[in-house]
Amino acid sequence: MSSELLESYACMPSTERGRGILLSGHSKLNNILYTNGRSVIILNLDNLLDVSVYGEHAYPATVARYSPNGEWIASGDVSGTVRIWGAYNENVLKNEFKVLSGRIDDLQWSPDGLRIVASGDGKGKSFVRAFIVLSSSRWDSGSTVGDFDGHSRRVLSCAFKPTRPFRIVTCGEDFIVNFYEGPPFKFKLSCRDHANFVNCVRFSPDGSKFISVSSDKKGNIYEGKTAEKIGELSAEDGHTGSIYAVTWSPDGKQVLTVSADKTAKVWDILEDGNGMVKKTLACGGSGGVEDMLIGCLWQNNHLVTVSLGGMINIFSATDLDKEPITFSGHMRNVTSLTVLNSVPKSILSTSYEGLIVKWIQGKGFCGKLQRKENSQIKCFTASEEEIVTSGYDNKVIRVPLQGEQCEDGVLVDVGSQPKDLSVALLSPELVVIAIDSGVVLLQGTKVVSTLNLGFTVTASVISPDGTEAILGGQDGKLRIYSINGDTITEQDILEKHRGAISVIRYSPDVSMFASADLNREAVVWDRSTREVKLKNMLFHSARINCLAWSPDSKMVATGSLDTCVIIYDVDKPAASRITIKGAHLGGVYGLVFIDDRSVASSGEDAFIRVWKVIPH
Amino acid sequence: MAFRGANASSGMGVADHSKATYLELQRKKVHRYIIFKIDEKKKEVIVEKTGTPAENYEDFTSSLPENDCRYAVYDFDFVTSENCQKSKIFFIAWSPAVSRIRAKMLYATSKDRFRRELKGIHYEIQATDPTEMDLEVLQDRAN
Repeated sequence: MSSELLESYACMPSTERGRGILLSGHSKLNNILYTNGRSVIILNLDNLLDVSVYGEHAYPATVARYSPNGEWIASGDVSGTVRIWGAYNENVLKNEFKVLSGRIDDLQWSPDGLRIVASGDGKGKSFVRAFIVLSSSRWDSGSTVGDFDGHSRRVLSCAFKPTRPFRIVTCGEDFIVNFYEGPPFKFKLSCRDHANFVNCVRFSPDGSKFISVSSDKKGNIYEGKTAEKIGELSAEDGHTGSIYAVTWSPDGKQVLTVSADKTAKVWDILEDGNGMVKKTLACGGSGGVEDMLIGCLWQNNHLVTVSLGGMINIFSATDLDKEPITFSGHMRNVTSLTVLNSVPKSILSTSYEGLIVKWIQGKGFCGKLQRKENSQIKCFTASEEEIVTSGYDNKVIRVPLQGEQCEDGVLVDVGSQPKDLSVALLSPELVVIAIDSGVVLLQGTKVVSTLNLGFTVTASVISPDGTEAILGGQDGKLRIYSINGDTITEQDILEKHRGAISVIRYSPDVSMFASADLNREAVVWDRSTREVKLKNMLFHSARINCLAWSPDSKMVATGSLDTCVIIYDVDKPAASRITIKGAHLGGVYGLVFIDDRSVASSGEDAFIRVWKVIPH
Repeated sequence: MAFRGANASSGMGVADHSKATYLELQRKKVHRYIIFKIDEKKKEVIVEKTGTPAENYEDFTSSLPENDCRYAVYDFDFVTSENCQKSKIFFIAWSPAVSRIRAKMLYATSKDRFRRELKGIHYEIQATDPTEMDLEVLQDRAN
């Protein structure tokens, strides 16, 4: 058996309230670059399913940029390291420099691709550094090209003048915009025109002007060679919230700004250096905090804006009134995956902050499921009619689904934090909820009984017909109970696992069940005889987080913290397995079979990937 | 008195039959594998089972007990990347994590003495669960 990656559904850039993010891209390939956790994501704007990931940073990555010739990508992370790697051909590392002692907030290539300027949090030492990347003599690379004094706080953005004479502009949390001449770069002058954090500074493509935008809701325009202030973005119809990012149009006549007031504005930059609003783009949404816009990019004909909630809107530059293409994804660990057998088949993914996203194979992002109460989600199950979730409080929420919409959910207090919950597929009224040392039986929205069983329960599952439940304990023992009305009777105890049970699942034909533990082992049991059917499924090197059965009950897949997904054939010995290595950076947390030959997996890197299983 | 070179730490000797069977595997290739067991009463390492050359790796792994330790020798045939037929002898110290501590201690301390008797072993593997002596592990090692 072997496997093949069919599709990847990308994560969104990681965002932080009160700060902007800096996007960049490659205009010829029409790719954009952004970061999430330790990954740098390269997304193709023409085909949103065409995404690749660079996961070699040891610390969360913050910003990434293509070199002017498009061959290399330089990316910086929170430890102050800049890695330069090949944009094609498996991302071979070219060089790595420890540039600053704190996080890197922005980095720019010089127009000849030989130098990079990086700025960020220097923790008292230098906040900005420019260094040589490529040089004819090998000992030269990494050496600093100038002194960058003049800032006393974190430098949020920097820009390299794209034409000669070369200049570097930096701006930061000390409200100052500094101007350096060189190389070798030396401080020339300071502009103190802003009254709050200056979030972004950018040169126009021809280098004649640069613009700085700030949390004081203003934007100032300066002359490119001398840093003389020549104008500002007009206050009339201006932003009413902090401006987080700015980007020039390719012809240098317009800029796009995005702001915490949830709008993006396109400004015409006139000859006298002042800016006038041409159009205000409102990005749809419920109007809450997640709609604050924090990043933007003007590439070719596309205006890309990113919101705090991870929504990306792509507007057309030539037709500003046209509806934008909108898509989104997850920004955090995707902890569970389910398949809805509607037409067409869709995948629902959830992450702990309560985001539920719907995906369709072949198309990608299909929409977010909006619930009336946006609580956090720890356990999640879904069917065509209903979603049952539980979070970190004592409540279980049952939300009926009407087509695509969620109706009002009913909250049921179960007395303590649910550890695992399972719905009987054939009689969906019945839900078994595992709590700390016992189990709660739910009929509809009424708690039928709460039973204290005396052992720490870590996983639970109920059979589709609702007559049997299996509870897994901290001690590694599987206890099988039969359910009669509101009581449960212990039928059997199965001992094989050597670690706390993490997940138990019945096979779709109910003839078997599989269990997995924290000691990296999974076991398949025969349901009627309660004997071990397949053992030695010990090939993971870290705890098993999730388990899924194929619809024909022939294959079992396990996903683990060790980033691998292993698929076993129930009729063959465990050694003949398919291993998908490195499925998700940080660990695999969600797993589901879409059909007999495809598996979807999700993990800590906020991606969802669909794999094809090819039997021999 | 026939002095059987005893192991200083555990006092286990090596039966002559064990050594002879190993030499048969090595020189005449009449066995695919040999499984050795420590007989505590006689205080020596004896042959528990041998496999014919027709048997394969699956038969070998299923002959090893799940809950007890053993020593084993396996004759592994493979074809290298340059298309040469080669054969390497593996010594496997099978000591599963689920076996009793007493058994693990016994086999661990006697291993060295026993290993020294078997000359001509190419590779040694210590396996504490079935995944550690998977066929892939042997294939990786043998190249």
